[in-house]
Amino acid sequence: MAEPQYTVASDSETTGEEKSSSAFPETAIGIDIGTSKCSVAVWNGSQVELLKNTRNQKLMRSYVTFKDEVPSGGVSNQLSHEYEILSGAAIFNMKRLIGRVDTDPVVHASKRLPFLVQTLDIGVRPFIAALVSNAWRSTTPEEVLAIFLVELRAMAEVQLKRPIRNVVLTIPVSFSRFQLTRIERACAMAGLHVLRLMPEPTAVALLYAQQQQQTVHENMGSGSEKNALIFNMGAGYCDVAVTATAGGVSQIKALAGAAIGGEDILQNMMQHLLPNSENLFLSHGINEIKSLGLLRVATEDAIHRLSSQSSVQVDVDLRNGSKICKVVTREEFEEVNLKVFEKCESLLTRCLRDSKVDREDLTDVILVGGCSYIPNIRNVVKGVCKKEELYKVINPLEAAVCGAALEGAVASGISDPFGSLDLLTIQATPLGVGIRADGNSFVPIIPRNTTMPARKELIFTTTHDNQTEALILVYEGEGTKVEENHLLGYFKIMGIPAAPKGIPEINVCMDIDASNALRVFAGVVMPGTDQPMAPFMEVRMPTVDDGHGWCAEALNRTYGSTLDLVTVQKKM
Amino acid sequence: MSVSLLPIDHLSMPKAFQIHASYFNPSTTISRCRHKCSRVRCCDRRREGSARTKKNYYELLGVSVDSSTQKIKEAYRKLQKQYHPDIAGHKGHEYALMLNEAYNVLMTDDLRTKYDASIGHMTVQIGKNNYVNVMGSSSWKGPLRPQALFVDENACIGCRECVHHASNTFILDESMGCARVKTQYGDDDQKIEVSVESCPVNCIHWVDKEELALLEFLIQPQLKQGYGLFGQGWERPANVFMAAKTLSKQLRQQAEHNHSNVRTTVEEETPAQAEARANASLKIKMESFSKIWDSLNEIFG
Repeated sequence: MAEPQYTVASDSETTGEEKSSSAFPETAIGIDIGTSKCSVAVWNGSQVELLKNTRNQKLMRSYVTFKDEVPSGGVSNQLSHEYEILSGAAIFNMKRLIGRVDTDPVVHASKRLPFLVQTLDIGVRPFIAALVSNAWRSTTPEEVLAIFLVELRAMAEVQLKRPIRNVVLTIPVSFSRFQLTRIERACAMAGLHVLRLMPEPTAVALLYAQQQQQTVHENMGSGSEKNALIFNMGAGYCDVAVTATAGGVSQIKALAGAAIGGEDILQNMMQHLLPNSENLFLSHGINEIKSLGLLRVATEDAIHRLSSQSSVQVDVDLRNGSKICKVVTREEFEEVNLKVFEKCESLLTRCLRDSKVDREDLTDVILVGGCSYIPNIRNVVKGVCKKEELYKVINPLEAAVCGAALEGAVASGISDPFGSLDLLTIQATPLGVGIRADGNSFVPIIPRNTTMPARKELIFTTTHDNQTEALILVYEGEGTKVEENHLLGYFKIMGIPAAPKGIPEINVCMDIDASNALRVFAGVVMPGTDQPMAPFMEVRMPTVDDGHGWCAEALNRTYGSTLDLVTVQKKM
Repeated sequence: MSVSLLPIDHLSMPKAFQIHASYFNPSTTISRCRHKCSRVRCCDRRREGSARTKKNYYELLGVSVDSSTQKIKEAYRKLQKQYHPDIAGHKGHEYALMLNEAYNVLMTDDLRTKYDASIGHMTVQIGKNNYVNVMGSSSWKGPLRPQALFVDENACIGCRECVHHASNTFILDESMGCARVKTQYGDDDQKIEVSVESCPVNCIHWVDKEELALLEFLIQPQLKQGYGLFGQGWERPANVFMAAKTLSKQLRQQAEHNHSNVRTTVEEETPAQAEARANASLKIKMESFSKIWDSLNEIFG
């Protein structure tokens, strides 16, 4: 094939402006890129349909192998065996790596994967490479994702017999805005335009809203409000959402998420089966990779079987002289993964508390994602929600992509004569956004779980006499100190009139629209005047690029506290 | 123009007003509050227009001021389905922002109480979703401002001067024979200025908007309890400013009292108990409210 596999349609960070163009004649497709599996669904005019690849699979493994001349992904590629993915030539788990810097613990955990993840621990993008004919060929998570998306797009175009441009993608709740730009970048590389990035549980919530509305139509009853908790745990991420649903409107009350999932459970189990595995595979020799592949497949299989059996026999020859022969009980499995379960529990509790919905008022508890088959996960969710039964009429592996397809149809302006698309998701912000002020503190301007679209403003003032400039550092996250949060961008406010400290008012306003684009406005107002002293700034966030782990430190070293701001208490 | 209004205001300040100066903070001059209202938020230049036409939250959602949270929820969802940017495109952004703001305020109990007070509807909350409104009689034209017009009907002689000068703001209540504010800022500033100036008995006052509802409530004549034929009829406090001060103090104390009550009764209870308690507390509150009125009668009657 002489033609390049993918073309860079748009390399700009700001694809948002075109988002606002209103008329989308075509129905946007929904894509769920999972850490381990991917699926595509589309509204076919009467219902949501999942697309199948040529091998009749609805769920396709998310990986790209660089073994041949042209890289090929899990959509088209025919695997001779599972081990092929684990040979070092394939990159997978890109969702855990995308948009992360090499100081991130999740990146460090990925070093135990069969391909090469190299870190320098200085806050830059990790080096990722696949083994191609005995050489490490470098790539990036964005590139891997783009190649994969090109395959998905080609598959959808063949089946729908039309060009595909607009997509709704599901994303984990815990993704930072910088990670979202990386996803958008990958889509742009694949020639796709992101209509919406939808947190996974909110996509499930939309599907639930549609199901509830349909049952109301059938029973001719009144559409009373129903509260539902959605717990989604896949291979890479765990997300929780609480939604209030009535009349096809799903109103997200609270979101919570973390980067824990089946991958962590798998790693813990591998560690349990072969205690020194961590050191063994760090050298990434060809034989080590092979052994690692064998161990991974055996462990995965054991975990799957433990969902229905109380104990399993693991028998695997690692071909490096060591053999594992072990009986693993479900109790052992639960003990090894205690931390994972505890984290799930804390996410559930936090989300319920944030939503201000009482456990007793939860109508349904919906459990989706690959990890929903693990008995203890089910017990944890039931325990926290004090529910005996879980919601049954939803396919745990297909719910998110179906919701994304519904959102794609709604946001494309498609209407359905039977009212099946009379739907709406009112989203909430998963993470707070704010700026650095009062020394090293993070001052949220839009707190988490604020209904979108949202706009809030706060007034700050100078810390030094005759301070003429101020540095606005925009962060996203939940920590009280800036170091605990993600830096999104920075800019300087200039032209503050010389005045004693505490007098000029620096107004910082943040605006998040329905497609989750964040804009920050900032300007100076002197008390007693109407007009801003200088033209105000409008900055689309995030502005940071790769290597942003350095930014905060560099800014601090260059400017120190000379351009600081403090919050102004509201005068009552 | 707004500067010239200030001294007139001070001159026209009647006796009663000067005594209870707490209702009118002379430092918040008219010119200053106007400046505040018209200040351009640095980030909102383009949206200045929409801010000016900002609707009352209740009007925005199309619900009445005493709506239950359920009603507000339903109205909010219905409007979101029409105007949310997912459906209406990017032009729905500003509208959805206003809807979210309105919803957030009206669904949060203390925010709603504060908001109601600020727009002139004093609400006394009874139970979880019931609100009793102490309604101000005047409506507002345009954005809310910190100060409002109030006619002391005890002093008014019904000369119609104010109605003549600012007919969209004042009306004459023929049955009572005195003037009343119909619409706050119903005319332009100059007309209002002239009408305030023209009052021969200086009974038109600038008051804080927080006090307005209470004053307007108290100035309405209430049915007096009589004994047979004697003593029956209508009455209102002779000094409405003092009465308002007393009432608001009592309401505040009552609110504090309720608050401390709520804290102590967090033990579990059966639904029947809860219902009984709710009924009882409702009754108590109604009684105490009428007691306040009675005590006011005693003081000023």
